[in-house]
Amino acid sequence: MSDQPLRIPALRLIPRRSGARRAGKRPVGLALGLVLLAGFGLLALAPVVLDLPAPDEMDLLARLSGPTAAHPLGTDHLGRDVLARLVGAIPVSLGAALAAMAAILAISLPWGVIAALAGGRTDAVMMRLADIVMAFPMLVLALAIIGFMGASLEASILGVAAAWWPSNARLVRALVLSASHRDFVRAAYLAGASRLRVVLRHILPQVLPPLAVIISLETASVLLALSSLSFLGIGAQPPTPEWGAMLNEARPFFAQAPHMLVVPGLAVTLAVLAFNLVGEGLQALLDKREPYRW
Amino acid sequence: MLRFILTRLATAIPTLLGMSLVAFLIVALAPGDPVLMELRAMGIVPEPEDVAALRSEFGLDDPLLHRYVDWLWRALQFEFGTSVATGRNVMTEIGLHLPATLALAVSALFGAIAISLTLGSLAVVVGRYTGAGLRGLTILLVSVPSFWLALLLIYAFVLKLGWARLVGDGSPSDLVLPAVTLSLAAGAALGRMVYERIRAEMSEDHIRLAIAKGLSPGRILIGHIAPRIIGPLATAWANAFGGLLGGAVIVESIFGWPGLGQLILQAIAQRDFPVIQAYLVLMGLIFFATSLLADLVVILSDPQLRRRLSDE
Repeated sequence: MSDQPLRIPALRLIPRRSGARRAGKRPVGLALGLVLLAGFGLLALAPVVLDLPAPDEMDLLARLSGPTAAHPLGTDHLGRDVLARLVGAIPVSLGAALAAMAAILAISLPWGVIAALAGGRTDAVMMRLADIVMAFPMLVLALAIIGFMGASLEASILGVAAAWWPSNARLVRALVLSASHRDFVRAAYLAGASRLRVVLRHILPQVLPPLAVIISLETASVLLALSSLSFLGIGAQPPTPEWGAMLNEARPFFAQAPHMLVVPGLAVTLAVLAFNLVGEGLQALLDKREPYRW
Repeated sequence: MLRFILTRLATAIPTLLGMSLVAFLIVALAPGDPVLMELRAMGIVPEPEDVAALRSEFGLDDPLLHRYVDWLWRALQFEFGTSVATGRNVMTEIGLHLPATLALAVSALFGAIAISLTLGSLAVVVGRYTGAGLRGLTILLVSVPSFWLALLLIYAFVLKLGWARLVGDGSPSDLVLPAVTLSLAAGAALGRMVYERIRAEMSEDHIRLAIAKGLSPGRILIGHIAPRIIGPLATAWANAFGGLLGGAVIVESIFGWPGLGQLILQAIAQRDFPVIQAYLVLMGLIFFATSLLADLVVILSDPQLRRRLSDE
């Protein structure tokens, strides 16, 4: 007899983590995205710690200068410090995207949930209304709304929210619908749980993870749209520091001062990338399917 | 088949009416008196009684519903009035620029489809690490804003290499850079979807059977997976086309491509409502027609739906 203790695999309390299955699911992207977001958060606090000039402060003697000791990322055509403007734009650009996303969710969440749970005619009417808005290309509708409100950052946030909510409401409805048709939800109903309890305890927990994926990916697309609008000159107005608007201002000095173009564009790309990575990473974590390989 | 198209068109009527109502209301509810604005644009300081006379002449004092029906009747004949800024007919103005925008959006769509199919199917077929790399590249391409990409491409190809020129006259060779810019981002977004779809199919039993039969990856992709994903992909392409119509505004303004983008940006700056309204309606209609086309593809590519339709 060996003195090895008897092991009964089926009784193992903590399942052995099989290396092969885990290897493909290391959430590198998710971690990278979160690090990037945290980086932006820290950078937004930089003016408190570092001694940066104000985003609007002009140093007229050092216009269009490349990176120097006084201006680590150079200056723009009015002699404003690019780094200071870049950092000052974080709350504006990200804040606008988050505000638009909050507005979108404020409409689409109740809309989708009510449509899915009410069903029947209410559902049909609500989805038809969403379809009507969705029948316009999103950016085109946003442009039209901005056109009628006059160009400003607020108008572009509202325009984007008004054009983006229907597709989101559709996704929410689909999620709630599939969640409410599960057997244990019906069992809860039959056991006499109240409507509110079923929604909060049984449907919401199922919906939240995929919703997190959607929110993250949508924030990325909203951020992209808002900075595009600012780039076109119909979003944030100068002298507000905003990444898209900074690029717009840099356009005439394209050949003279390429440094003005590189930094804001990189900032937009990295911010959008961060949200996309988080969304994709979450999705990969939630994905339980195992495709067959050849 | 014909019957399906007719019923599909009939169900579309409420949507079309709703769209027209949205386009009408945005103008009707917009802040500012259109008469005052028009007069001011003409450089006239108006007397109150003149304004009242003009208001009744244009029917602005009628009830909203009455005005909507009037407007709809004219919109059905593609009459959107005259541009406040230039005083020219809105439809001639738009008709001048529409072909360029359509050429850009359509060529970008074909580019995006080619890019997405390549990226998506490669990411599935190649090994784990190359696949992860390809997916990373896809996410990166989705994240790069098209206006920045455009500027980078201009820097590389126009300023440094001199392969293209910036101020074009709308000839086909000037179309290449804008179309590439537009199609890269759209293609990456679609590629993500192609990858997801193929992966979902590969978790199905019929693919397992195909693998067990010893079919080659290429045959499984083309013979077993492609027919099942073409329908959803067609819907996605139609959606992407809508995105390209909007995205064209950004790219056109950078490359100086003579499409609708310049016109609409000018109209927004000058609060030229008739132009914006006509633009919204036309883009909505084009997008709508594209979605209809995609629905047809969905039906044609699904044998079960096809059979049900022919049985009816």
